[in-house]
Amino acid sequence: MPTRIRLQDGGFSLVEDPFTAVADDLQVPPGDVIISLTRFQAEGERLLSEGRAVGVRLESDEGAEALAYDLPRIAVVALAFPKYRDGRAYTSARLLRERYGFKGEVRAVGDVLREQAGFMLRCGFDAFEPADGSSPEDWERATQRFRHVYQRGTDARAPAFEERGQ
Amino acid sequence: MYQYDAIDKDFLADRSAEFRGQVARRLAGELSEDQFKPLRLMNGLYLQLHAYMLRIAIPYGSLNPTQMRKLAEISRTYDKGYGHFTTRTNLQFHWIKLKDAPDILDALASVDMHAIQTSGNCIRNVTADPYAGATAEELDDPRVWAEAIRQWSTVHPEFSWLPRKFKIAVTASVKDRTAARVHDIGLAIRRGRDGALGFEVMVGGGLGRTPYVGSTIREFLPAKRLVSYLEAILRVYNRLGRRDNSNKARIKILVATLGAEEFARQVEAEWEKAGDASDLPDTELARIRAAFAPTRFETLTARSEAFEAAKATSPALARFARNNLKPHKQPGYGIVEVSLKAIGATPGDANAEQMEVVADLAERYGQGDIRVTHEQNLVLPHVKLDDVAAVHAALAAAELATPNMGLVSDIIACPGLDYCALANARAIPIAQHIAERFADPDRAEAVGELKIKISGCINACGHHHIGHIGILGVDKKGEEFYQLTLGGSGAEDAAVGQMLGPALPANRVAEAVDQLVEVYLRERQGEERFLDTFRRTGVSPFKEAVYADAH
Amino acid sequence: MRALTANRLIDGEVVFWTDGRWVERFAEAQLFADDEAGEAAEAHAKTEVTTVVEPYLIDLIDAEGIWAPLSYRERIRALGPPNHHDHGKQAEGGAVVEALLNAHGAARSTGRVNLIKRK
Repeated sequence: MPTRIRLQDGGFSLVEDPFTAVADDLQVPPGDVIISLTRFQAEGERLLSEGRAVGVRLESDEGAEALAYDLPRIAVVALAFPKYRDGRAYTSARLLRERYGFKGEVRAVGDVLREQAGFMLRCGFDAFEPADGSSPEDWERATQRFRHVYQRGTDARAPAFEERGQ
Repeated sequence: MYQYDAIDKDFLADRSAEFRGQVARRLAGELSEDQFKPLRLMNGLYLQLHAYMLRIAIPYGSLNPTQMRKLAEISRTYDKGYGHFTTRTNLQFHWIKLKDAPDILDALASVDMHAIQTSGNCIRNVTADPYAGATAEELDDPRVWAEAIRQWSTVHPEFSWLPRKFKIAVTASVKDRTAARVHDIGLAIRRGRDGALGFEVMVGGGLGRTPYVGSTIREFLPAKRLVSYLEAILRVYNRLGRRDNSNKARIKILVATLGAEEFARQVEAEWEKAGDASDLPDTELARIRAAFAPTRFETLTARSEAFEAAKATSPALARFARNNLKPHKQPGYGIVEVSLKAIGATPGDANAEQMEVVADLAERYGQGDIRVTHEQNLVLPHVKLDDVAAVHAALAAAELATPNMGLVSDIIACPGLDYCALANARAIPIAQHIAERFADPDRAEAVGELKIKISGCINACGHHHIGHIGILGVDKKGEEFYQLTLGGSGAEDAAVGQMLGPALPANRVAEAVDQLVEVYLRERQGEERFLDTFRRTGVSPFKEAVYADAH
Repeated sequence: MRALTANRLIDGEVVFWTDGRWVERFAEAQLFADDEAGEAAEAHAKTEVTTVVEPYLIDLIDAEGIWAPLSYRERIRALGPPNHHDHGKQAEGGAVVEALLNAHGAARSTGRVNLIKRK
């Protein structure tokens, strides 16, 4: 079974991935699947009714608000990085967590490098499919690189202005 | 001045360690050049024509003498003993080796300096009025807000991978010395009717391939809501800015496409939803403000007899005072402009010895405060008039006292094809030729305010669009040619210049500027500046003079 | 006639290809009269990703008996910055440097065979 890096209880580990990512031109196999937004809008109701877990992949030009009402039924939102320099998914992740209160898995897919780890963690991602062969240890190190942060993010870290106030 | 605390210092150390690791991975082949480039750019490291170039941030253009001396030391140790101050009030070293870059970042961190986000598609070094804390014109000290923005924008989790680079300016006076209207966001400090502090928010200005003057999307933003409002703007931009074409990715294109009203509506809607969670608490704003508390000024009379006497015997000092000394809010003090535009020199360049002279003078006479201007000069913002003669003498000995601020030879120029891998033509020799042509200081003063700005390519680091006379280098069939524009301004009367006519060969440019100046002197009425005359007459008389031979 | 150039990864120095190695002086650059040989060298150079950055071929012209880069951009790279004649390769002087300083090859091409715009 394929794996992905998962953030759980503050630590990174490699865990099995029960989800199959299904392209739009392929038949949906049995079991838990991640499908496109288009397919979810057409077939989501039926797939959910079959009792399986369903995840939705949002491309970087698809906004999180498209899923706002469905989020309680969705297990995973996979946010795509077509290039690692494309930063739209950071906003999507924050909106999912902060505005829509999504509690499921927010997964980074596509051109995902450890260089983005710190940014992703602070925006609410908790699952990662790295494209650079990086290990959970690499991600752990990358996210611990900075002892301080300057802004409030989705994570619980206290920004500098709060640290100073203490 | 703002002093870095343990948190700020840790942050720089961590960043430097991160980059050291990335450089090692690149040299070992674990990162490809494509993967490494955005990382080195976010640490200000470019690969230019002859070597790497390191762009060092000088947040809101503010330096202390220790920092300036460290820059001099770095230039001697790792470069060729000089550096280039830029229109973003940064400093660039042109001869850097990749293998040395991590050590240089450590050396910078030792004096609370860095190269964070001096390139890349992120929020860049913020510009503020170089006269902050010294001019009587300001409504509030813009450095307070610029420092707040520096911290907020540093390694921002959501806004470090934007469609394109992002530049913010803070101005606090009616007179705009930051070019705020041609920034991605320009913030102009305002007072509400009740005296409350706030900002006029201008968005979507910019130069480059498609120049725009920004649009005001909010007349008055309460000051303490600044950060949440910036987040709303950046969020709309991050989502909707174009990613398919880097030439159309700046926020100015988005604002122009949506229209300023619709853009403002989306920002306001996002701002309302996001609430005030990201705004800085009053305690933090107070902490930052305390760092910029006015330095102790002596109680002096407005007139310095010693200075007046010295001027009476030294025409050179008198000329320097006319052009490079600006009024200070405190009686008996002045703001001294240090010219990096000696006739025939490279605009914005300073060598290590010059950096040290300025550091010494700031320490001895200037309350330890040095500023960098977007016009590529330095400023000693707090000098007693009693000391101006001594400061002038020391500057003159170091070739830093050229009395040409705002005059025809105070030319902005990017490094151009002398150094830059993006350039199409050289900018430096054009600036040198023009300055040499107007070397006579009497003539330069007679011409008065005239801002010439030169870029070596369409990216417009030399701000050519907003020059009273703008000059853009182009590659025309393998030769360097120059397009002239007239009537631009980066000040409070911001405007984009208008094309004069067909591009000129390099050896015609200085002569053409001379012809333009002659037209102005002939046409001007009363106290008109070059810009005023141009705006009244239009381009025709200027065009006729320059292209007369072509008919 | 062509030559193959790049910047060295570790320090950014302008370098030229000569029979399988990189040299700093344009005077020592290998000259390719044959397009295929030049392109083969370029293809090989592109695999040397921990030695050089973005190797590319440049066009040369005959400048008073010496082959010189066609474009002023490439002449500046081969010499050093025009505003500091004591910096860069030009500081060493010599016949080839003199010839490059005096070359006036204007041409329609930018001299970069494959146009590279980089940061």
